[in-house]
Amino acid sequence: MKVLKVILQICFLHVFLLLGAVLKYFIPLPIPASMFGLFLLFAALCCGVIKLEWVDQGAKWLMAELLLFFIPSAVGIINYEEIFSIQGLEIVGLIVLSTIIVMGLTAWTAEKVSAAKKGESH
Amino acid sequence: MIIVLFTVITYLVYVVSKMLYKKMNLALFHPLLLAPILLIAIISIMHVSANDYMQGSKFLSHMLAPATVAFAVPIYKNLPIIKKYMKTIVISITTGTLMAMISTFLLSKLIHLSDDFIVSILPRSITTPIAMEVSKEIGGLPTLTTVFVIITGIVGGIVGPNVLKWLSIKTPIAKGLALGMGAHGVGTNKALEYGKQESVFSSLAMIFAALFTLVWGSLIKSFI
Repeated sequence: MKVLKVILQICFLHVFLLLGAVLKYFIPLPIPASMFGLFLLFAALCCGVIKLEWVDQGAKWLMAELLLFFIPSAVGIINYEEIFSIQGLEIVGLIVLSTIIVMGLTAWTAEKVSAAKKGESH
Repeated sequence: MIIVLFTVITYLVYVVSKMLYKKMNLALFHPLLLAPILLIAIISIMHVSANDYMQGSKFLSHMLAPATVAFAVPIYKNLPIIKKYMKTIVISITTGTLMAMISTFLLSKLIHLSDDFIVSILPRSITTPIAMEVSKEIGGLPTLTTVFVIITGIVGGIVGPNVLKWLSIKTPIAKGLALGMGAHGVGTNKALEYGKQESVFSSLAMIFAALFTLVWGSLIKSFI
């Protein structure tokens, strides 16, 4: 029963994906259809056009299993021989270093700003 | 037939990898690292090329699009929190997206990457569909960008928790924003393990990072 509900809700989410594609056709911005779909679903939820229960379970499942959807492209990495060379190792090193910098600075900034905000309100 | 076969195999390998990861609790067993390695082994035994496999498992990669739409749900549910922390979110993600592009650019120069690679690697820290758009916009190769996005996901899922530990980051907002900013959907998936608030902030970081990077992308484009 629960599986059926999740499947139905994922189908329903596709309606918004489709609407997003329509919107993208009319608004020539470099934003993918799925992002337009996200905005439309958000607006529909806010206006009460659709109820949270209609999408909640399906959305939860998709977000929990997100890694699954990356796996086929991850297998495709073997098509890029360059990755499996010295240069590839350097690129991975670059990504490790840059990710540490990005995450570190983002976390640090967030803590500083939210701490400053707390100070203000006291 | 092929589609059913590869979808089922991928799903099973994914479930097994996830179980192993939970049991071993080792970064090297991260499902996005372990599952592709197992699958590469399986398809080479079956004498199937990576392209045929990707064609066969297209259904799964396609689900990334409705999954992106689904992120509207946590945003809607947490609207009051978002309003409350708007300033922190905007400042942190502005810092994060700029640092992602600047550090990636400088390090690419340091290791003498070709220009094609540099523009393709710049949007690596955001979610796949939008990274591909940005890449197209600034003259990169979208498929190559996907590769860098995936590597960033794998790396972020592994180093992310350590960075948070090293810096002794305590607040859910900082943890969530850092994970979503640094490693898009994979970071957000990791944030689920920390808690509900972390996961909300991480979803937000992912969305904001994608949008901000689109803006930086079009700015870069007007400079080239």
